[in-house]
Amino acid sequence: MYAHGLAAVLMLFVAMTFGLLAGTQLLLPDLGAGVPWMTWGRLRYDHTQGILFGWLTNAFLAFLYHAVPVLTGRPVTSVRLGQWLFGLWNFAVVIPGWMLVLAGFSQPLEWAEFPLITDAFVILALLLAAVQFLPAFFTKGLEDLYVSSWYVLGGLVFTLFAYPMGNLVPEFLPGAQGAAFSGLWIHDAVGLFVTPLALAIIYFVIPAASRRPIYSHFLSMLGFWLLFFLYPLNGTHHYVYSVIPMSAQIGAITASALLGLDVILVVTNLLLSLRGSGYFARDIPLRFVATGTVFYLLVSIQGSLQAQMAINRAVHFSDWVIGHSHLAMLGFATFAAAGGIGHAWQRIPWARYNRRAMTWSYWLLVTGVLLMVPHLTLAGLSEARLWQSGAPWIESVRAAQIHWLVRVLSAIPLFAGFIAFLIGLTTGPPGAGLAEIESSIGLEPVEQVSPKMMEAAEAS
Amino acid sequence: MRALRMSYIVASVAGVLFFVLSVALLGVWPARVLQEQTSNMAPENPLGLTRSEQRGRAIYAREGCAYCHTQQIRFTEADMKRFGAPTLAWETRLDYPHLWGTRRIGPDLSRQYQTHPADWHFAHLYSPRSVVTDSVMPNYRTLFNGAPDQPTQEARDLVNYLDSLGRARELAGPEGEARARKGCNCPDDEMQQMVFHSPVINANAGKARRAGPTPTLSNSTDIARGREIYQHNCASCHGPQGHGDGAAGSLRPVSADLSEHQYSLSRLSFVLENGVAGTAMPAWRDFSLADRAAVAAAVRELSTRPAEPAIPAATLELGARVYRANCAQCHGMNGGGDGSAVPELRIVPANLQGVRPTLAQSIRVLRNGIEGTQMAVWTGRLSEAELSAVAYYVRGFYQEGQR
Repeated sequence: MYAHGLAAVLMLFVAMTFGLLAGTQLLLPDLGAGVPWMTWGRLRYDHTQGILFGWLTNAFLAFLYHAVPVLTGRPVTSVRLGQWLFGLWNFAVVIPGWMLVLAGFSQPLEWAEFPLITDAFVILALLLAAVQFLPAFFTKGLEDLYVSSWYVLGGLVFTLFAYPMGNLVPEFLPGAQGAAFSGLWIHDAVGLFVTPLALAIIYFVIPAASRRPIYSHFLSMLGFWLLFFLYPLNGTHHYVYSVIPMSAQIGAITASALLGLDVILVVTNLLLSLRGSGYFARDIPLRFVATGTVFYLLVSIQGSLQAQMAINRAVHFSDWVIGHSHLAMLGFATFAAAGGIGHAWQRIPWARYNRRAMTWSYWLLVTGVLLMVPHLTLAGLSEARLWQSGAPWIESVRAAQIHWLVRVLSAIPLFAGFIAFLIGLTTGPPGAGLAEIESSIGLEPVEQVSPKMMEAAEAS
Repeated sequence: MRALRMSYIVASVAGVLFFVLSVALLGVWPARVLQEQTSNMAPENPLGLTRSEQRGRAIYAREGCAYCHTQQIRFTEADMKRFGAPTLAWETRLDYPHLWGTRRIGPDLSRQYQTHPADWHFAHLYSPRSVVTDSVMPNYRTLFNGAPDQPTQEARDLVNYLDSLGRARELAGPEGEARARKGCNCPDDEMQQMVFHSPVINANAGKARRAGPTPTLSNSTDIARGREIYQHNCASCHGPQGHGDGAAGSLRPVSADLSEHQYSLSRLSFVLENGVAGTAMPAWRDFSLADRAAVAAAVRELSTRPAEPAIPAATLELGARVYRANCAQCHGMNGGGDGSAVPELRIVPANLQGVRPTLAQSIRVLRNGIEGTQMAVWTGRLSEAELSAVAYYVRGFYQEGQR
């Protein structure tokens, strides 16, 4: 768990560096010229794969090691298996995948840029993850599962189905036909993998940190099932106005609208659970998670809107969508994952924890997101306007420059925020996280309890 | 109560079924429809890709070109107006995997066929800003042996691939479109019908054409605007002062030296509207007429027009004889660039009614020819006296007010 958590943060820095380099190249296009691995395209491939596999997946695995035993009352399958999973994921998937892409071996499919050979290891690792985490749920029986458990089950199982579909099918089906499947995976990667696991964290951390039950279990389950019904049906909204049959497009657009409603339901339930608890200010991981929840609401409503034809016609292909994906991955998923790691860290008795650094991290990251996303959205709107107007293409590139500059500058608070996060996890006294939880609920520090008991014993 | 608990199992099964449903409805079924469309709407023998183009395709995929350039023209008016006919399923039938893309930082590339010549592509790949001043495209110097006119096999493959995009559709011609319409058999499908109402397959505003309209440009007084447009769009090739010495030195023919020529307003109007087909000079149809008039004024301002000697009538007569014997087949009896050989020529010869070179430039061209065009070297074939005479004579065709 600890290893995955640290690997997650370290790999986050690598993936962010790819993103920062790619973003900077839009301002200084000759940066890294003549160095094949420094080409924009390859950095861009590695940026998204790094965020998905290096950062988020490691963070999710770290969280599962904490959450699954709590949720099921049983240990994960095997420690040895865990070591294999860790080794396989980081040293057979992420690192070789990055290197292969930089060396020019890749596939030009979104969220599936690692080459086919890496896909084999991804599937193997996903199988191992299923073996590691799922049996605990089944031995307990499915009747009394908490909603987080459902999300974990759903996320792990459906990703196993969806991954080969997105990564293999377009290699064997030509052009538009392959694109239909590609669209499904682009959405499933986010909808059936990242979202369920991030929501599992949110549903777990909110009641655990605030020590109050979730507002409504009925709404939780309704939200869960609607999400799993609707998410897969969204895929084709990535190719609106394409040659893919219009009925499929309209189906996906309708599902996208319904999904937005479902997310309103889910988030209402989550925010009502937090209402008046007062923990938002005190517990930093909870604050991360709650903020991620708000970003989730924003990004989902935005997603539902931009799938609608009238809006899609204008903003598709523009930086608006890049803003949307950063709001999803950096706003929603990253805040949930960071909160999940922080929450678990507080509960490792020997782990170091630095509250001040975590607070800094939170505010820096919020600043970064609020700088980057609105500016990408504005860039997208200017691009859309110029494209519709029939102005020469290059004008849309010129118009975006100022926003691209802000995007690159937003890397300063973001990097600083994640450095603070790393400091928060590696400095401070061991067990400081646990001590903080205890004091926050009015328990005396352990060191004071035993002398008192001794005194009491002596007095009696 | 037990029934209620069992509902989770029902829901789980339903969840899996919904996933299967999504794959069936949004994956398998569309793929079948698209496969049918491919076989029904494709031309009889659609052109495929050569080995070189296939290798170029792999390079395109490897470098992530699809992440800035889509290969999918949508069924929207904005897309059709800017790029051309929407992408049909059969056009992507060779793409394993597809290269549609979801982001456009640069323009869509589905209709690149004959949109730019190879020398432009090489200069653009080697140093994008040498031809498009404000481009943010990365340079691909690694595909060259140190210079834009020294492409490696990889660069040639990539350029061949780029020039193949949209080729099958364009070469299928009106017969191909008719076959697609028949194969589609979709008179009620509003969206599909848009394909058949697209006036041109390739609507790129930069695509040069040999013949076309000459819009009327007014004499612009907005010289500041013209200079600004010039610096941002023209200077990279023609040079900041118009000496034809911009960053794109590898283009053949070399970019025109605007200081050594005098251009009529109508000639500039024609070139801005239509480009110079066969050369790297693109059309600028996407600029408003006011902007084009402004930049035309800025270009005319660059012309130096040095003082020149008076020429005796005998020389002029010699020039006329030499011209009729050697030049008129291409440049036309009256210098209009409309000689009888023009249909055979890759690049339309200079229209001397619309452009007047300085005497020095005229002699220079006759002595050296113009590399990359059919304009030959005339030393050796003409005596020095004949050469100077014709160099002078051709300058007489120019008409400032020519329409």
